[in-house]
Amino acid sequence: MLFNTAYIIICINLFGFSLLSEKILYKSIGLKFSYPLEKEKVAAIQGMDFEIPEKSFVTISGPSGSGKSTLLNLLGLIEPVQEGKLFLLGQEIGRMSEKEKNRVRRYQVGFIFQQFHLFPILTAEENIQYFLTRQTLPKQEVAARTKEALELVGLWEHRKKRPSELSGGQKQRVAIARALAKQPEVIIGDEPTASLDQKNGKGVMEILKEFVERGKTVILTTHDSMVQSFGDMNLHLVDGRIEGGGNVVLA
Amino acid sequence: MWFWLSLKNLFRNPRRTFAILITIAIGTGALFAFDGFINGVLKELKYDTIHSNYGYGQIHPLGYREMVYEKPMDHWMGNGEELEAYLYSVAGVENVFPRVSFSALLKSNHTTIGGSGQGVHAEREAEFFHSLNVEEGEMLRSQPSGILLGKGLANALQVKPGDSVKVTATSNKGYLKNGNFIVTGIFHTGSSDFDGRVFRIQLPEAQKLLKTSKIEHVSLGLRSDADWPAVATSLHTAFPHLEATPFDVLDKIYYQNSVNWLKAQFAVVQVIILSIVLLGIFNSISSSILERKQEIGNLRANGESRVEIMRMILTEGGLIAFVGSLLGLLGAYTILTFFVHNGLMMPPGPGQTKEFVVTFSFEWPMVLVSLALSMLAALIASYFASFKVARLSIASALRAL
Repeated sequence: MLFNTAYIIICINLFGFSLLSEKILYKSIGLKFSYPLEKEKVAAIQGMDFEIPEKSFVTISGPSGSGKSTLLNLLGLIEPVQEGKLFLLGQEIGRMSEKEKNRVRRYQVGFIFQQFHLFPILTAEENIQYFLTRQTLPKQEVAARTKEALELVGLWEHRKKRPSELSGGQKQRVAIARALAKQPEVIIGDEPTASLDQKNGKGVMEILKEFVERGKTVILTTHDSMVQSFGDMNLHLVDGRIEGGGNVVLA
Repeated sequence: MWFWLSLKNLFRNPRRTFAILITIAIGTGALFAFDGFINGVLKELKYDTIHSNYGYGQIHPLGYREMVYEKPMDHWMGNGEELEAYLYSVAGVENVFPRVSFSALLKSNHTTIGGSGQGVHAEREAEFFHSLNVEEGEMLRSQPSGILLGKGLANALQVKPGDSVKVTATSNKGYLKNGNFIVTGIFHTGSSDFDGRVFRIQLPEAQKLLKTSKIEHVSLGLRSDADWPAVATSLHTAFPHLEATPFDVLDKIYYQNSVNWLKAQFAVVQVIILSIVLLGIFNSISSSILERKQEIGNLRANGESRVEIMRMILTEGGLIAFVGSLLGLLGAYTILTFFVHNGLMMPPGPGQTKEFVVTFSFEWPMVLVSLALSMLAALIASYFASFKVARLSIASALRAL
């Protein structure tokens, strides 16, 4: 692992970053993040260096409060980079304008939340279509992607149902279909199987594995060993640091 | 599709949406009704002012109204017939009423009192100046020695129709001239000041008293007050030494001040109603947004900008305001047209002595103004309600309970 880091650093020096960035989805250098608590600051991420290549299935584990969700939020451009550097496809997130970040969130990142966050007033189909129309796709493309995504998660027959008419597992599959239909570079999930039973959870993971096999990246936080077993690699966090310390390259 | 989402969001909590709709509808309806009421009062006021004394306006020698002359009659108009003929040829002019006014002493068996006389073509004026409500007796028409007295003046003289009144005025040459007149009727206009000093006799009789053939001013009856500017311009071109003054300037103290007073009152009530609407909508939309913080976080996480979130919420506010306003306008119009179509009996206004009926008078611009004001209030409320949540960080919104 240390050899890989050294190799990458040499590559940066010899060929410049852009050459290398074609294969690296995320790169973090000295990443830190803290939350304000009255006059104090509570460190959630205490200095992380890592690289995540494209087409990988990454799981992030660790005890509660270890910084999993914060890291996920940083990767999803949900929290701002406070200290250190974080690159997405070679572009430094901290230097992106709000408009650029919105564009990245709209086109390149898909989210799956533990609480699904579906719009209760829209049907399963409309929940997916909403973000596709926001990508200004043609109607036919929106319809085709929606159908494909709902068929993939096995919910095409339930497309006219509202979230209140779906089970927890079905809701999560709609949320996954919504993320998949966007055709992002990376899907980020915050414990997406936490509210599902073992069978539904496994079903969700298989869908995500297929997404990775199509050349995309999935990054999930989890406490579940079943979920970790789907990952190409696991990043274990303890107290806002990657266990083992030092630079880590996941490749 | 964001518009679709905004629209659907309105059906998320039908009871709350209904409450906001009702708030807006009542607010807009109240604005519209009050506007209609004020408009009705103003129309009544204008109608009374025009048809009680001034007409749509008057023509005087240039500068005559602003000056105090030792011998005002020297400045009166000697070309009354020529002027009258010209005025009848101007488009929009329907009636021409040459007049003189003068101060005089009126004497009955009981008392002597000062009054303000008007020499008029009574027959011609009778139809137009019908706001001179004749309380006793009859209108002055063709009776050559008739005199029509204001109610206050008749009370002071203690006379009734059929009684004799002696009028003494100072002639053009400075002599005192007397004339005996028979009271034909006693009028009231509602204005106690006017009713307490004004009397009317025939124009030739007044000219005889004053020993002049001139006229002091001409009152005009027009097709509508919209014709006034053209008539005034035409007159100024043909008779540069004369000036035309509209009724609202002639009666500035009473009419224009009343208009300003009513409009100011309306503005205050408008602000109060709009504030209530604004707070009501703000409260409802705020609770609606607070419940949707996570959804808004999700929207932001998927690329919606703060402006787009605010646009969505403003659209919701705008939509509900539009529908609510239309309901309010329709409701107010229906209620007032079908249930209060006879108007409301109002107590006497400032400086008036009689009750009057106000009908709600609606005009298209009022619909647009009420609609625009309600929508503006709703949009302002939505803006402030959405501002905080749109500024919230995505992570905080997603974490919100």
